[in-house]
Amino acid sequence: MKPFVIALTLVGVAIAQQPSPGIPKIKFTDTTLDNGLRVLISEDHYAPVYAICISYKVGSRDERPGRTGFAHLFEHMMFKGSENVGTGELDFLIYNNGGNSNGTTNTDRTSYYEVLPKNQVDLGLYLEADRMHGLVITQENLENQRQAVKEERRLRVDNQAYGQTSEKVEELIYDNFAYHHPVVGSMEDLDAASVDDVKQFFKTYYAPNNAVLALVGDLNTAETLAKVKKYFGAIPRQTPPKPVDLSEQPLKAERRATLQDPLARLAEVDIAYRIPDATSPETQALGVAASILGGGGRGGRGGGGGGNTSRLYNLLVQDKEVALNVSAGAERRGGPGIFHVTATIRQGKTPQEVEGLIEEEISKLYSQPVSDKELQRARIAIRRSAENRLTALSRAQALADAAAVYNDPNRVNTEIPAELAVTAADIQKAAKDLLVQQNRVVVVTMPTGGGRGGRRGGQ
Amino acid sequence: MIRETSMKSGWMAALLSTALATAAMAQEPAGPESFRGMVRLNRAPVSNEVLKVKLPRPVERQLSNGMKLVILETNRTPTVSLTIQIPSSPLRDPQGLPGVAEATAAMMMMGTATRSSRQLAESLAEIGATLSIGAGGGGGGRGGGGAAGGDGATGTIALNSLDEYFDQALAIMTDVVLHPAFPADEFEKWKARQRGTIEQSRTQPAALSSEVLMRVLYPNDARRFTRITAASLDKITRENLIEHYKKYYVPSGDWGGMVGDIAPRDAVAKLEKALGNWKGGPVEAISLPIDPPIAEKKVYLVSRPGSVQTELTLANRAIARTNPDYIACMVMNQVLGSGPAARLFRIIREEKGYTYGVSSSFAATKFTAHFTSSMSVRTEVTEPALADLLKEFHEIRDVPVPKEELEGAKRALAASFAVGLENPAGVLNRWMQQREYGLPEDYWDTYTEKIAAITAADVQRVAKKYVPYDNVQIVAVGDGDKIRSSLKKFGPVEEVPPGN
Repeated sequence: MKPFVIALTLVGVAIAQQPSPGIPKIKFTDTTLDNGLRVLISEDHYAPVYAICISYKVGSRDERPGRTGFAHLFEHMMFKGSENVGTGELDFLIYNNGGNSNGTTNTDRTSYYEVLPKNQVDLGLYLEADRMHGLVITQENLENQRQAVKEERRLRVDNQAYGQTSEKVEELIYDNFAYHHPVVGSMEDLDAASVDDVKQFFKTYYAPNNAVLALVGDLNTAETLAKVKKYFGAIPRQTPPKPVDLSEQPLKAERRATLQDPLARLAEVDIAYRIPDATSPETQALGVAASILGGGGRGGRGGGGGGNTSRLYNLLVQDKEVALNVSAGAERRGGPGIFHVTATIRQGKTPQEVEGLIEEEISKLYSQPVSDKELQRARIAIRRSAENRLTALSRAQALADAAAVYNDPNRVNTEIPAELAVTAADIQKAAKDLLVQQNRVVVVTMPTGGGRGGRRGGQ
Repeated sequence: MIRETSMKSGWMAALLSTALATAAMAQEPAGPESFRGMVRLNRAPVSNEVLKVKLPRPVERQLSNGMKLVILETNRTPTVSLTIQIPSSPLRDPQGLPGVAEATAAMMMMGTATRSSRQLAESLAEIGATLSIGAGGGGGGRGGGGAAGGDGATGTIALNSLDEYFDQALAIMTDVVLHPAFPADEFEKWKARQRGTIEQSRTQPAALSSEVLMRVLYPNDARRFTRITAASLDKITRENLIEHYKKYYVPSGDWGGMVGDIAPRDAVAKLEKALGNWKGGPVEAISLPIDPPIAEKKVYLVSRPGSVQTELTLANRAIARTNPDYIACMVMNQVLGSGPAARLFRIIREEKGYTYGVSSSFAATKFTAHFTSSMSVRTEVTEPALADLLKEFHEIRDVPVPKEELEGAKRALAASFAVGLENPAGVLNRWMQQREYGLPEDYWDTYTEKIAAITAADVQRVAKKYVPYDNVQIVAVGDGDKIRSSLKKFGPVEEVPPGN
């Protein structure tokens, strides 16, 4: 590989932040290299393992009309070889040395990770640095990844019951193109992507000053940082991309759609409200509200084996027996997010009936405060969610994402305490302001064709 | 039975002794070279050492009521997690009434003599604990390689709690285990919900495929059911559940496990106090044959009009967990179809672009013993994708694996051992597996040596024996009118109505 010149300034800052009782604080160092690469390192010597996660500040929000799905298609290109790593060699080296790796793309960022035994620090850094500085972009690679991505779309969306539903919700709830289109993109746009598009995208977004590198595990911070400099230090910075405007005009009236789904057998109703970005106190309050309304079993692993205490579950599934299942959640994003309720309707019941009951239950959130017991249950579930940050990989991803999307890696330490601090009054106010009819989208998915009333099955 | 080999300090010591040891499987330096679906430039810096790690050992305990468990103390999180194995299993369902074990497990959480289902849920939620009763997977469908408690022959009671609330959580669990009420109204509600869930599962290609596969591989016994059936829902009574509970919810199951921030001495004292009155068993062991592979090739087609992909599963019966070929099969499968460094990913996904995901695996437990390989491909390429997948089966059966590829696969299995130490529950699971299957005491200590000993000839031998080719069983879920004639080229086609 090219001899990298080492030139950088060290701006290491050890972060100190008061954690909540019982929730271990994640300590890390925060350094920015001369070329703009932000490096976060967190030691954890529990097991002889480390994880590396690199998040690039580019997601589907950066795509333009006619090129939807491109950020994700590009993610696939990152596994096809770089200047010093052959096609398929990255996975070969990672997996055959006991590790694992993958990439993920969402609306706000694209991220890549490796988990490896601790004696393979050079390997992980080298592989990430090599593809940041010298990705091999060929027509052939683009063609076969285009196929893989189209199959991914078919697998997750086109061949699944209710596959189109969440795309319709996003389409209706966002007017700004940034979030208006799905991450996976359309088949037509995937077909239109060219090698020149890939090259330009690489140059614009895959630069050290547009990325955050997080390393967590059985590492020595100083040694690791020296290695990071060795492998990444000489990759030149690029002109930073223009920040994307994610702002939305307020919704003025409810928006509705009905979909006909030939693969579904039962109707589904989806109700979505637009909410602020993830850092907003209102969004934090609504996260807790979602857990009370339709969370169910967020507490620890094992996922709700102990039954479901949520309001909507007890009303719709258990008491009225109109829905087969129901869930509520607050989807947090770098820009405006979505508060979402989904219910599958039982045979012989109507989406209108279920929608009415959900609406009634939501309006109770603003007519009276949630009970102390409900709040306590939600809080302990939040506290237990800290266990989701147990592995080196989960912490590396959380750090890299918090820095890439929110410019605040210490969110890994402040997010849970902020949720724990949410009060009944906060929930009531946020619900009153945001969970209102004019701020919402309703999508009803109706089964067509073969399914309904058809054979019951049986052996 | 009491053999205290490692307490908390032992766990730490075992980790500290993790040394960089030059292992037998060091990579040989090699110049640029390629094998199928990959170009190796060999420029990336790789440590040639495989970390030698010793799996921390849990302690073994037996309660006075006969319950056996392994306990691993770790302060990684302020939690305690307990898994009890019980003899309940779908494999014990009465003839003609599949789903009794499943329904019993579900109804265990629906109320006790003193708590309604909602009170149960709330009392657990108040302390942030989870309690789940699992019936065992029945046949369990595809996937997985021999995790303890996942072999379908055993039910599980799993409790997970913060350590500060463990006593309360244990008390709730004890109430559930000793005093279930099986309320009739809740049972009717549950049955109604199951009818809807069965209807929902008919929309899912993977669920449809798995149902057919198990029926094909295990036609003669309870393994053929993946879940309760609609016919069963019409017949099953509360009395069936009570009878199942009385017989099989007893503390004489396989090894249970406990992991978390608790000393074994305290753990045993708490369990004795809580569960001392829980008695019963032993019950008769399940006896089911591991049949040889099906001899004639066949294609099963589930037509799902409107599908844009065909979900394909290629399979046949193979080995149980205790088969001496197990390690050789793991190495062989690492070359063939496990993960993105394997042939199927490199050739079928990356080179050919037929699918987003393709892999192969052995389901190898006590009574589940099959090999499967699955992929979802766009309808138009159903035929070439099947042909190319079978070509890979042919290749691994008929051509010795090149040295570098074999060494890579062996290193993958050996080196990932260190990565697994991050997860204490996974470590405990390995020990539960060792006891459940009666593997030698030093099984995990000599695991990497056993992998290192596998040769290209071993790989070819087990591939020929267990990777189906002339006798492959194919399950296809897709648009029947578009793929029927293609499928006929791979064997006689039997149409299976969805949900039948």
